[in-house]
Amino acid sequence: MASQSLHHHFASLRLRTRQPRNPSPRPLTVAASKNPPLPGRKLRAAVIGGGPAGSSAAESLASGGVETFLFERSPSSAKPCGGAIPLCMLDEFDLPHSLVDRHVTEMRVISPSNITVDFGKTLRPHEFIAMLRREVLDSFLRSRAESRGAELITGLVTDLELPRSSSSPYVVHYTSGGSKRSLAVDVVVGADGANSRVAKSIGAGEYSYAIAFQERIRLPDEKMKYYENLAEMYLGDDVSPDFYAWVFPKCDHVAVGTGTVRSKREIKAYQRGIRERVRPKIEGGQVIKVEAHPIPEHPRPVRVRGRVALVGDAAGYVTKCSGEGIYFAAKSGRMCGEGIVKASEGGARMVGEEDLRREYLRQWDDRYVSTYRVLDLLEKVFYGSNWGREAMVELCGGEYVQRVSLESYMYKRLVEGDRWEGVKMAASTVATLVRCKIMSGEMGRLKAIA
Amino acid sequence: MSISMALFSPPAPNLRTLLSSPRSLPKPRLTLKPSPSLMPKGPAFFAVSASSDNGAGAVPSSAVAVEEQGEPKVAVEPAKEPERENGSVASAPEEGAVAVAKFNDSRWVGGTWNLKQFQKDGSTDWDAVIDAEVRRRKWLEDNPESSSNDDPVVFDTSIVPWWAWMKRFHLPEAELLNGRAAMIGFFMAYLVDSLTGVGLVDQMGNFFCKTLLFIAVVGVLVIRKNEDVETIKKLIEETTFYDKQWQATWQDDNSGSSKNG
Repeated sequence: MASQSLHHHFASLRLRTRQPRNPSPRPLTVAASKNPPLPGRKLRAAVIGGGPAGSSAAESLASGGVETFLFERSPSSAKPCGGAIPLCMLDEFDLPHSLVDRHVTEMRVISPSNITVDFGKTLRPHEFIAMLRREVLDSFLRSRAESRGAELITGLVTDLELPRSSSSPYVVHYTSGGSKRSLAVDVVVGADGANSRVAKSIGAGEYSYAIAFQERIRLPDEKMKYYENLAEMYLGDDVSPDFYAWVFPKCDHVAVGTGTVRSKREIKAYQRGIRERVRPKIEGGQVIKVEAHPIPEHPRPVRVRGRVALVGDAAGYVTKCSGEGIYFAAKSGRMCGEGIVKASEGGARMVGEEDLRREYLRQWDDRYVSTYRVLDLLEKVFYGSNWGREAMVELCGGEYVQRVSLESYMYKRLVEGDRWEGVKMAASTVATLVRCKIMSGEMGRLKAIA
Repeated sequence: MSISMALFSPPAPNLRTLLSSPRSLPKPRLTLKPSPSLMPKGPAFFAVSASSDNGAGAVPSSAVAVEEQGEPKVAVEPAKEPERENGSVASAPEEGAVAVAKFNDSRWVGGTWNLKQFQKDGSTDWDAVIDAEVRRRKWLEDNPESSSNDDPVVFDTSIVPWWAWMKRFHLPEAELLNGRAAMIGFFMAYLVDSLTGVGLVDQMGNFFCKTLLFIAVVGVLVIRKNEDVETIKKLIEETTFYDKQWQATWQDDNSGSSKNG
């Protein structure tokens, strides 16, 4: 019977890929009768990793009546991260505005030939990009999960023991306070980041990743004023061959960094490149911290296996083009938690792999795959070469482009745009790409003559 | 003002084109100073930063500082020989021996090209504008410059009218492609006629011939160089790759179905 429903599921997947946008008939699995009720106890869930993904998952699970254990190895560490979140996250996750360090209302994009374009003319007064410190956000979300009933365990998870049969529990082995402990649970949510141990335990497979490298620099006051509400994005082969370099303002310093997928060994050279490009603006500054972190480029081959689901960076939910991960981590954690609550009917029944796929993965993919695909396309076209980058900066000068991209970033939905403007935007995109490609051809000819 | 140019390997070819090409800039006032592109302009800066780093940062930045000390020495030597503007080298860096070469052109005013200086026979010489911008971008690609707030670059390629692009770039290639299509067409028409006896007008009425015509036209448009075939194959693979990565977890459905619980 299990295989039958799986077959239905696979068949419905086939339909989906042939007819995009057609909601395929869901397999009629009656979850209530399939899952056995738990004998006199609630469903136990372990959430491994206490970042935005883990905390959101734990919060949803605990609020839904599931007995939740949230594991975090170092609650006070500051994660190396851009720290920018979209406006919708403040609303959806009820984040108090006191968490926000800076309201960025202007984004400057600079091309390889230093053509500068200002993003932000279309922002309305109440709109901004929130910059915050990860340690502040993470601890807020964790304590909220705790207040909803999740038990916070400070410890390092060393191993996840897979069950021998469908009714045995998963055993989480961890060290806490110097001693080795273990905990038996029914469901595991892996939210332990890019180097996920949970992913390794279930054999989720690898993904290619980018290296993000950043230096936090404290600037003298007059220079810091320039970055009061302004973030900068630099493009060029000197700062990154396939991504962008940034200057993001933080609470009292700026983060200057860059990232790359294919030339990880030259990351230091790229960092020097960005330091050079920004030199007059950071002269006299003091480097207070240097940090680096891997960023997944695409989802892992397996995101759900058995009664283990991966969320956030562990699943590989970082978007291309913008490299945004915080919102998607939190959202996937929440969706996964809510999915488990629904499938278990408030913690009363056991859940299975099918439930995780149906309630979490299917919902997630249906909602966000197109977003990811669009961003992947943008990255391929606009980040791959210098002429693509020049074209992008030129296009970003257009007001309609700015409005559409900012709104889709801030609200995570494709805004209903003016059709005529859309056509004009498409035409000018093609025109700009053609022009810049021609110029790049001429540049190549110059090199050839010489 | 005399033209002073420092000869050094990377942009040297650039100089040759400037001097030799008939369309070179009228009075190149490029003051070129040695500048290896990715080199930091201040070993001293790094020294300051290295000392203030916490433990985590100390190793990488001191390693970086050590590398840099070696490089600037190499760059300075060639610069010294033909250097006539010694003021510039000395004044430039308080920090080290490496100086910045900024893009400089008399027609580049206020962060964009001053079109009045591109006049030819009373109207703007768009070809020269395009050339100038190409040179600027090439220059900056080889010698990235720090962006400055004081003189922002605001040039936009759309100021060059569409017909200027068309005349210079599209028309020659269109001529080439049309020529190819015509040659193929004539030859195929002759061949089919000699084999089947069907004349040109009757060929056009046949569905199969129309299909062949369509394929020929598309082929000429899409495959312009030998490398294009490979490029197209790669492109198709690339566009579906990301999608495959997302669907991977669903493929597991069949293979992993035995692993439940």
